[in-house]
Amino acid sequence: MPIYAPTLPPRPALDRGDPPALVILRFDLKRMLRLKLGRFFGFAFLLILLVECVTLYTTHLMGTSPALAQLRPMAERIMPQGAAYQAQLLHPAMTGLLWLQVALVCGGLVARDTLYRIRPLLYAHPVRPLDYLGAKALLAAGLPFAIQLAFILLPWALSMAVGGLNGPVWPTAPLRLIPAALLNAALMGSVALGASSMAGSPRAGFGWALGILVGSGALSGVLSATLGGDPRLLAVGVANLTKVWPQLLCQVPTPTEISLGPALLGTAGHVLLWTWLALRRTRPGEAAQ
Amino acid sequence: MIIFENLEVRYGATVALKGLTLSLDRGIIGLLGPNGSGKSTLLKTLLGLLPPASGGGQVLGVPLGSPEAARLRSRIGYMPEYDALIEDTSAYEQVAFWGELSGLDPEQARDRAHEVLYFVGLDESRYRHVSGYSTGMRQRVKLAQALVHSPELVFLDEPTNGLDPDGRRRMLDLVLRVRAELGTTVVLASHLLEDVERCADQLVILDRGEVKAAGSMASLRKALARRFELRFLEPLGAGLEARLEELGHLLEARNGLYDLELHDPDPALPFRWAQAAGVVLVQLTPRHDRLDEVLIRALHPDPAEA
Repeated sequence: MPIYAPTLPPRPALDRGDPPALVILRFDLKRMLRLKLGRFFGFAFLLILLVECVTLYTTHLMGTSPALAQLRPMAERIMPQGAAYQAQLLHPAMTGLLWLQVALVCGGLVARDTLYRIRPLLYAHPVRPLDYLGAKALLAAGLPFAIQLAFILLPWALSMAVGGLNGPVWPTAPLRLIPAALLNAALMGSVALGASSMAGSPRAGFGWALGILVGSGALSGVLSATLGGDPRLLAVGVANLTKVWPQLLCQVPTPTEISLGPALLGTAGHVLLWTWLALRRTRPGEAAQ
Repeated sequence: MIIFENLEVRYGATVALKGLTLSLDRGIIGLLGPNGSGKSTLLKTLLGLLPPASGGGQVLGVPLGSPEAARLRSRIGYMPEYDALIEDTSAYEQVAFWGELSGLDPEQARDRAHEVLYFVGLDESRYRHVSGYSTGMRQRVKLAQALVHSPELVFLDEPTNGLDPDGRRRMLDLVLRVRAELGTTVVLASHLLEDVERCADQLVILDRGEVKAAGSMASLRKALARRFELRFLEPLGAGLEARLEELGHLLEARNGLYDLELHDPDPALPFRWAQAAGVVLVQLTPRHDRLDEVLIRALHPDPAEA
């Protein structure tokens, strides 16, 4: 038998709250952090990061310790420093795993609201479509950006600590890699958001995101092969773009498959397309059906 | 409090609400009509989720579709018909979230969530995930989220859906308490006559997107209650029975009792008619209509169709 309160206290002030986008972002972040999936990926990324840091420190020891000095030539062959090394901080294996995480975690951001049918209720509050989508987009792009940031800053900071300003690592590496991480995060976030807006459940959102990732890659390969092996068409594939941005911004001397123009065009096209789709699919009229 | 002027709402080519013109005061307003009559569409229009195709209206003095309509929503609470619950969170967390979205600061929203969950009788289970709640508890979470910011106006869309008789009674008690203790105006949309009859002091009957009847419950009953039972000293002959149509529509004649729906509800008219016809009217009994009869008559003005 429920126990009911005698009554409610007087009406509270309604003008002291945070902006709706911030409220939604905070609430979704709490939900995201509770996902067991997040812990799995957290562990995987931590492990990769740890291996990178240990490798870096071992290389340093090989350079400074007489006992390990004889191993130095081998270390230099394995891990050459310079532009390629900097770009390698955001290596394709890491971004591939990141794509998977973004698809799994952020593919459910909008789809979960569709499944629980809470969007009409959200819009019954003082929430505008831009507040809603802005919060989701910040979270979907913020997650991959934060993880990439750890992969940029920790090895860089360690390199600077052990090697100093005159070591083999550029002091300006973050200035090149953070923009690359931002572009990658925008790409990943918009794809996840678009995929999620088309899905009726988080699982379907993951499926859509994975479909876009694999489908755009396959399409880019087919287009490029059909049209005489034009590498510019590889910019249709979202995974190709995340692979190429660190190389382009670190100015890796070996020629990359996609040049700056097509990479910019491909990234802008994908971000605009999937954001526009998410905006259309989450407007109040859609929610009211 | 709520005014519509020739309001029309469309879903594509389908007209969901046709030329609604209404004015509703504070209190508990019953929005009654069969499934698909346009009740939920009307609530969504009032919340600004659906734009009017033509006409307009005002809610709490703010014109529908105006730029201030978004801010107006912090003064309104909405309990949707369907399960709009965030299944992977506790009742407390989500009610606090809805409070924050309505403009409460985070600390105030948390306090308020505790208070309102206590108010709806979910004090003990407020930290449990709502996915494990019974239907009655889920309905009460929905009511709590609609009340967390103490709105001036609250829309309750089928609040007793799926509840057993005891759960229904408790929910309707809460609705009455919301009006009596918090002073909130309640718009109660339902297809269940008993729910509206128990709570509402004003009624709007909708059918196929049109207002069939509207007004206070008392005046509506009075206007629509034209049904009388007549007994004459002697049973009427066939000729006089036919002449009864001058007074109203003859619904039933048995054992000298005539069930008649008068054209004019003035009870003096049957006596005058009897005097003119040279018969003695010995009994004139008004049939005190229940709401279901009012509803059926509003939806089917032709008694034969009803």
